[in-house]
Amino acid sequence: MLDWLKYINKEHPEFWKTYISKFDSKSSRYVILSTEKTGLNPHKDVVLSISAFAVVNDSILISDSFEAVLLQYKFLHDNQLSNEFIIESKLPKLSEPEAIKAFIEFIGNAVLVGHHVDFDVEMFNAALERLGCGRLKNEALDIDIMHRKLNDITDKQFSLDELSQIYKIPISDRNSSSEDAYRTALLFLKLKSRLGIK
Amino acid sequence: MNTIAEHIADFLKEYAPFDQLTFQELSEIAVNIRVLNLEKNKTLFQINDPLHDCFYMVNSGLINLYAIADAEETILSKCHEGAIFGLRPFFAKNNYMMTAKAREESIVYAIPIAVFRPFVANNAAVLDFLLENFAANSHQTKTSQNLGKSIISDTVFYSDQKAEMQFFQALSYNSNPIVVTADAIVKDVAQLMAETLLNSAIVSENNMPIGIVTHTDMSSKIATGRYANTVPVATIMSKPPITVIENVSLAEAQLLMLKNNVTHLCVTQDGTNKSVIRGVISEHDLVIAQANNPGVLIKEIKRSQSSKELQQIRLRLADLIQNSIFKNIPLTHINNIASEINFAIIKRAVELSILDLGSPPARFAWLSIGSQGRKEQLLLTDQDSILIFEDVAAEKYREVKDYFLKLGKKTTLTLEKVGYQLCPNGHMGSNMMWCKSLTDWVKQYDAWMNTPGENSNELSSIFFDYELVIGEQKIEDAITNVVFRNAKNNTLFFDFLGNDALRKHSPLSFFKKFIVEEEGVYKDFFDIKTRALMPLVDSARLFALSYDLIGINNTYLRFKQLAITDPKHSEIYLNCAEAFLTLSKFRTLEGLKNDDAGQYINLEEMSKIDKEKLKNALAPMKELEELIKNKFQLTQFS
Repeated sequence: MLDWLKYINKEHPEFWKTYISKFDSKSSRYVILSTEKTGLNPHKDVVLSISAFAVVNDSILISDSFEAVLLQYKFLHDNQLSNEFIIESKLPKLSEPEAIKAFIEFIGNAVLVGHHVDFDVEMFNAALERLGCGRLKNEALDIDIMHRKLNDITDKQFSLDELSQIYKIPISDRNSSSEDAYRTALLFLKLKSRLGIK
Repeated sequence: MNTIAEHIADFLKEYAPFDQLTFQELSEIAVNIRVLNLEKNKTLFQINDPLHDCFYMVNSGLINLYAIADAEETILSKCHEGAIFGLRPFFAKNNYMMTAKAREESIVYAIPIAVFRPFVANNAAVLDFLLENFAANSHQTKTSQNLGKSIISDTVFYSDQKAEMQFFQALSYNSNPIVVTADAIVKDVAQLMAETLLNSAIVSENNMPIGIVTHTDMSSKIATGRYANTVPVATIMSKPPITVIENVSLAEAQLLMLKNNVTHLCVTQDGTNKSVIRGVISEHDLVIAQANNPGVLIKEIKRSQSSKELQQIRLRLADLIQNSIFKNIPLTHINNIASEINFAIIKRAVELSILDLGSPPARFAWLSIGSQGRKEQLLLTDQDSILIFEDVAAEKYREVKDYFLKLGKKTTLTLEKVGYQLCPNGHMGSNMMWCKSLTDWVKQYDAWMNTPGENSNELSSIFFDYELVIGEQKIEDAITNVVFRNAKNNTLFFDFLGNDALRKHSPLSFFKKFIVEEEGVYKDFFDIKTRALMPLVDSARLFALSYDLIGINNTYLRFKQLAITDPKHSEIYLNCAEAFLTLSKFRTLEGLKNDDAGQYINLEEMSKIDKEKLKNALAPMKELEELIKNKFQLTQFS
């Protein structure tokens, strides 16, 4: 609540100021995202790749998308993990600060949507903290919660595969965060119209 | 490079015209695609909506395209996975002329025209493909070559409703009529008509029609000398003009002309003479539109030279049936037309085989059996047929049978290409068992009827519904004689048929609830074919045979005739006749909706009223069952 006090004398990076200034108006854009992470602990784990699509006017814009692999050499080295994934990927490879900056620019003031999106948001917040920025200000929607709300289910969580099955979305054999992001986007469109969200 | 764009490019590559492009080009297009999810019954665009900046391709689901005629929606076509539609923005500037609605929850790619246009311009093959299909559909396709070529056909493009073949099409008419004011001089108007080669002129006031002058007025009032050609046109015009709404159907226009004894109708925006003039319909327009009626179809069938041409005609028949049903034309009427056309197609298929194989070495009869034999086939079902040839000398038998087997094979394969699937049980003239000499057939029927259930040969009741397609009438008569001679007092046979008719599962539970499928793909669906229609068909046949109703094969007509023959129970029979029509209609509608044989009805999709209707149609079956039990005293096989 008194977050602003913490930052009162701190100079934020330029991209962050631009980001903050975007929140004067409400966005009609949704950004559907999916990440690959090394784990779920925001401080010990890191994000390895980010994929996202924009949804505007109930359609997924294939051109308005974001894909990046985050180089985490130090983390991989410290944890004795192989980095073959990074070498093999054809996607643009960025260092964590570069990637986070580009991603923040991409999302702007859009509403974030994901599957168990709170983990992703926490992950980003941790990375932002490392850059001397504040926390994400975007609203966030979770498709699992949307599904449970639609069907009045309180005692069960659904995996992305389960949701895909329920809403008859073909599961591709190729497994990647962009694949997941696209599926999440389709699920979001279906859930959105069923729930009557504008 | 965006990985999802690659997947989309992979999908596009499978379908024309995208298969003409390189993967690199497809990726460029894919990157700019928008992906839409349409809920069931959601409208993507409708008639008169301004054009979108894109056209559409179905990724999954089913989109139906509708047109409106006589204020009713008519399905023009169905777009399945991979189909392209909404191409109008590519070619025309005016608004959409059809409605696109999701029949199932669907995912659709919106491909921006601006992105796709350069690829069309740079790739002649893609351009040709689009133009050819668009052209094929905006002009009346009369030549069958033209029909054969259009690959994505009506399912995709739609410009004016000219390509529609049937009475209930919207008419194409002159939307640019001569409009004159009331004080125009007759001579000038006549001059104008002569120059434009039109035979009518509308007289207007404030853009609203107040009268019409036609050739008839000119000849009867001016040429006869009753008026000088210098009088104002108002003197000789017919008023008020008969006005109609836009999108009027051929049938309605025809009726209006007959009723009012006129040769021209004035089209206005809202159909009254108090709104803006839109055009004029002349008798000539009706004549042109009728070039696509059932009679013409039959003519085309008689002229066609290949299975491909027949297939195109069968597709047009499907449209005819569909539109007639949506227009509430009596089902008996549709049945008659449809079966005549079906028969013509089958007959032509046999003829084509004969043209290929040379003249048959003996006289023969090709009979359709089953639903086609009963003239009840509206949806594309499988083929059922038998072949009977006259008895020949023993040494010739082999050769003759060989010929007819070949004939049967060739014909059934042609029909398969046309769209009638092969009978899964092999009930076809191409089968050794069902292609034999008259004597053998007589023995076969004797065996079936005198020792039913004993023989290893299965007795399928569809063999008792037959109709001559081509060949000797005498051969069919001979079989009919055998059947009815054997039927006389044949308790055993009727016992067998009766049990067969009653063995079908009942449609309603004790509490008058529908009994639905318990498992499988059609869980919770109602099997209208086996639970409702088959028992009626079987019972009608049973009674028809027992009452000697020779030559009446149609279930509806059988019940009607039974009501006359057995007046004591006429009410039951009449109820059954009506019920049969109602149920057939439900089934056909379901089949048209889902592009299948309509066997399973989705009750959830039905309105309450329809459900009640369906339930009521099932009611007479109970009484019919009692009647069968009483009359035939089923014992041996129960």
